[in-house]
Amino acid sequence: MSLHTARHTDPAAVSAATVRTRDWLIAAGAVVLALIALYAVFIDNGSLISATGDYLHEFSHDGRHLFGAPCH
Amino acid sequence: MADGHVPVLPLLRRGLAAGGLAGLAAGLFSLLLAEPLMDRAIRLEERRQEGEHSHAAAAAAVKHHEELFSRGTQHFGLVVTAVVVGLALGVFFAVAHALVHRRSDASARPWPRAIALAAAGFAGLSLLPGLRYPANPPGVGDAGTVGDRQLMWVAAVVIGALGMVLAWQVHTRLTAAGRAPAVCQTAVAGTLVAVLLALFALPDNPDPVPVEGTLLWDFRMLSLASHAVLWAVLGATFGALGLRALRERRAAGHRPDPVPSAV
Repeated sequence: MSLHTARHTDPAAVSAATVRTRDWLIAAGAVVLALIALYAVFIDNGSLISATGDYLHEFSHDGRHLFGAPCH
Repeated sequence: MADGHVPVLPLLRRGLAAGGLAGLAAGLFSLLLAEPLMDRAIRLEERRQEGEHSHAAAAAAVKHHEELFSRGTQHFGLVVTAVVVGLALGVFFAVAHALVHRRSDASARPWPRAIALAAAGFAGLSLLPGLRYPANPPGVGDAGTVGDRQLMWVAAVVIGALGMVLAWQVHTRLTAAGRAPAVCQTAVAGTLVAVLLALFALPDNPDPVPVEGTLLWDFRMLSLASHAVLWAVLGATFGALGLRALRERRAAGHRPDPVPSAV
C-alpha cells in the first residue's frame, strides 16, 4: 500500500504507473480489434467493409447460423 | 502487485490462447455434429424453393448459397469463424477478468474465477440472447429483414451482458452490506427475471420458419451446445493457465499475496 503514497515522488512508482497505463491502452486496442473481428464475421453484409463484397458474409455463413447471428 | 496492480497483459495472452483453443474446439465440434444438419437444411431449402417456383429467376435465387463458395469452403469457414469468435471472446474474457478482480490479487484463485466468469459469459452472451432469438438453420432468414434482425440481436446480446454485470453488482453489494445468502441469491434471481423481461420486450423475429420441427430443435440444441463448448474450453484453459502461472510464481520464490481476495 505504500506504493500509493509514494507514486508521485518515487521514479520507480511513476514508471510502474506508466507501464500500467500502456498495458491498459494495449488492452483497449485489443478490445477494439475484437469488436471489429466480431462485426466482420457476424454483422457485415458487404455494406460497410465494402471491399469484401459478400465474400466475408458467405465465408462465415455457417458460423453465423450456428452461433445464432442473423443471416439472410 | 500487492497494491491492486492488475497485470493485464499476461491475462490478455492467456485469454487469446484460451480463446483460440476454445474457438477451435467449438468449430470442430460443430463441424462434426452441426454441419450435417446445415447441409440437410440447405438441400431442403433448395427442394422447397424448386417446388414453389420453377421460373428462371427463382432458380437463380436457389443457387445463392453456392454462388461464391462451395459447401466445403463454407465448412472450413465455419471453423475459421469459430476461431475468430473464440479469440475475440478471449480478449473480452481477459479484460473482464482484470476489471472484475481489479481490487484484489489478480493471480489468486485462478480456477474458480475463470469457471465463474465463463459461466457468466455463457449465460449473458449465449444463453439469454439465444432464448430470445434462437439460432435458425440455413434456409431461414429473409434478406429484407436482416438489418432489423441484426439490430434486435445486438440489443439482446448487450442486454444479456449488462444483465450479468447487474447481477454481479447486486450480489457483490448485498454481500458487502452483510445480507444473508438467501437475500443475495433471491435478489440475483429477481435481476435475471428482470433481464428476461427486458429481452422479451424486444420485437419478435419477423421471419417465418418453414423448417420441420425435429431439424429445428436439433439445430438449436447443437447451436447452444457449441456455445457451451466454447465457453467451457475457454474457462477451463484460462483457469489452467492461471494455475500454471501461479505455480511458476511460487516456485520463483514469491510469497502468496497478503491482500485478501474477494470472489
